[in-house]
Amino acid sequence: MSLFSGAITLRAATPITDSEFKELRDFIYQRSGIWVDEKRKYLFENRFHKRLATLGLKSFDEYIKLLKYDPRSQEEMKSLWEIITTNETSFFRDIKQLESFQNVILAEVLAEQRKKGKFDLNIWSAGCSSGEEPYTLAMIISDALGLELPKWRVTITAVDLSPAMVAKAKAAVYGEYSFKTTTEAQKKKYFVPAGTDLKVKPEIARMVNFQQMNLNDDAAVRRVPKSQIVFCRNVIIYFDEAMRTKVARAFYDNLLPGGYLLLGHSETLHKISTAFRPKFIPGAMAYRKE
Amino acid sequence: MGLKLNIDAIRPGMVLAADVLSRDGKVLFASGAALEPWHVQILKTLGIAEVDVSEDQSGLPSPAEVLEYVRDFFLYVNPDHPAMQVIFEIAAERAGERTRRGWRLPDLATRRATNVEHLEDVFGPGQFTPETIVKHETELSSFPDIYFRLKDLLESPSASAKRIADLIAGDVGLSAKLLRLVNSPLYAPAQPVDTITRAVTLVGTNELATLALGITAINYFKDIPPELIDMQTFWRHSLTCAVLALLLAKRRGLPPERFFTAGLLHDVGRLILFKKLPYASTEAMIHARENALPLMEAERILLEFDHTDVSRVLMAEWKFPEQFRDSINHHHDPMDCAQPVDAAIVHLADIMANAVGIADGGMYAVPDLDAAAWELLEMRPTELQALMIEFDAQFEKTLKAFL
Repeated sequence: MSLFSGAITLRAATPITDSEFKELRDFIYQRSGIWVDEKRKYLFENRFHKRLATLGLKSFDEYIKLLKYDPRSQEEMKSLWEIITTNETSFFRDIKQLESFQNVILAEVLAEQRKKGKFDLNIWSAGCSSGEEPYTLAMIISDALGLELPKWRVTITAVDLSPAMVAKAKAAVYGEYSFKTTTEAQKKKYFVPAGTDLKVKPEIARMVNFQQMNLNDDAAVRRVPKSQIVFCRNVIIYFDEAMRTKVARAFYDNLLPGGYLLLGHSETLHKISTAFRPKFIPGAMAYRKE
Repeated sequence: MGLKLNIDAIRPGMVLAADVLSRDGKVLFASGAALEPWHVQILKTLGIAEVDVSEDQSGLPSPAEVLEYVRDFFLYVNPDHPAMQVIFEIAAERAGERTRRGWRLPDLATRRATNVEHLEDVFGPGQFTPETIVKHETELSSFPDIYFRLKDLLESPSASAKRIADLIAGDVGLSAKLLRLVNSPLYAPAQPVDTITRAVTLVGTNELATLALGITAINYFKDIPPELIDMQTFWRHSLTCAVLALLLAKRRGLPPERFFTAGLLHDVGRLILFKKLPYASTEAMIHARENALPLMEAERILLEFDHTDVSRVLMAEWKFPEQFRDSINHHHDPMDCAQPVDAAIVHLADIMANAVGIADGGMYAVPDLDAAAWELLEMRPTELQALMIEFDAQFEKTLKAFL
């Protein structure tokens, strides 16, 4: 006896034709640098299925026309980025990389600044998602500077493609899922209760500036303050080689001499850039601008 | 609230209302797990007297919820392929059946929650290739030579059923498992087979050697710590693939043992990945789950190669027979195999094993079916339903033979 009355069908989504797929893929690529492989065509259909229904559209062709020519386009782009970027993260994710970062990279950069008598530190968190990463960096910096913190000017410029993610990051309120890699001690030290959730303490939050940014937007990228450290974790996996090369170049240009680029756990600049000097630190690879 | 029941009253299909702990306090089976026959067997073997089971049958998911849950694992595949449609129906029916026996659909948090921060990779980021990973393994320990001694013997003029049986019987663990396998429904002998000599007569020398290869490989990996990979789930998927590959091979008159063993070992590259790169491979698992991608695709994105690239190197190093290796190494790209039918069988069996596994709590997107490989198999989609009936008649008992 079947649990299901009547026929069940696998196809649920509006089909996308090959030419519609190519047009939408190229549109997304041009606007964001995110490359959607042909293999993900059906995944694509499924991802957009609900959105098309909500908008009352009958085909992808109508959706593409809305994105390209409709006055509602700007507004729709927000939903588009939400649909195609799904990377979730948590506080203190990849603790081995972060510890190495604190003990080696950050220690070196701070010592260098002290030597110069320049008590400022700029970090760029590119692809910050809902904010867990830049806030974690602020927590680590606060820990590293300790009582020295008030005399430093720390600025973490945290950007993400999705306006929804940026809004969530600015609110600084997080539920259980964001803490799966966070200890109780860390929660106590850096958060205050907000109902059943936790809110980042203001002295941590004030170090981070969030803004919506498209890494494919050259002018916007050039406006990011010059940094000693760039964090870009689990972002370039969504890019094709041309776009990876382009952002690696942008990070290089943004970094001050002696500055470091850190990527996600499994990401490398292999085949992308030879401009940096790779420096192996336990649990991570850091790329130094000489 | 749970209901405390004596172990003798525990039946498959009941749902645990509390964790079952071992004597040293480790969680054996988590609360919420729907009991399978093998769970019950283990509980009895361990001498656990009472078990907390759920008496609450309300809140069962509706058919629509089951369908949506299962569909989430089919987002990556061609929804218009008739075989994929049938595989979807099979997966949905099985998940539906399990929920009726009390299985709760895992929620999003359970499907995603993982904390592997304590795991450390052998190699640093960007410091490895399939070759270096495999080398690290093969330099530490070599593959048990029983299989090679068997192969040498088979190829020598002095090979006889008696000499082969003697060689196998010298390995007590191996012979016990082989006998259990030969007595399982896979062979369903009229009389119980209690000696290797009789097993050789029943199954054939080459065939028995192939089965010995699979069993030896399982033994080789038995020491992987459970925090790296849930070996129970891993071998369940592998054995599902093995039984399906065997049934598909029989339909085409191909040697079933070779396909059984290929199915059993098709993901062996993944075990090496877990041993050498536990953190990176867990990152790949998380990426796959979050993005509704098949695990293989996520491996390619994060590691720049996948588990078949690892098994390619490993099995060459271990000198497994070439045709056998190919069917494993091409299970994600069957048409690139020198014997595409071989790889197509493992390819289809793997996809079906993934689909069947959804009802066992499987967490990964079903890989897409290669349309050309499907053509090669010359099957009608509805035959897959019949295949599952055969599968169900054999699987649980075969699993027991392996436990």
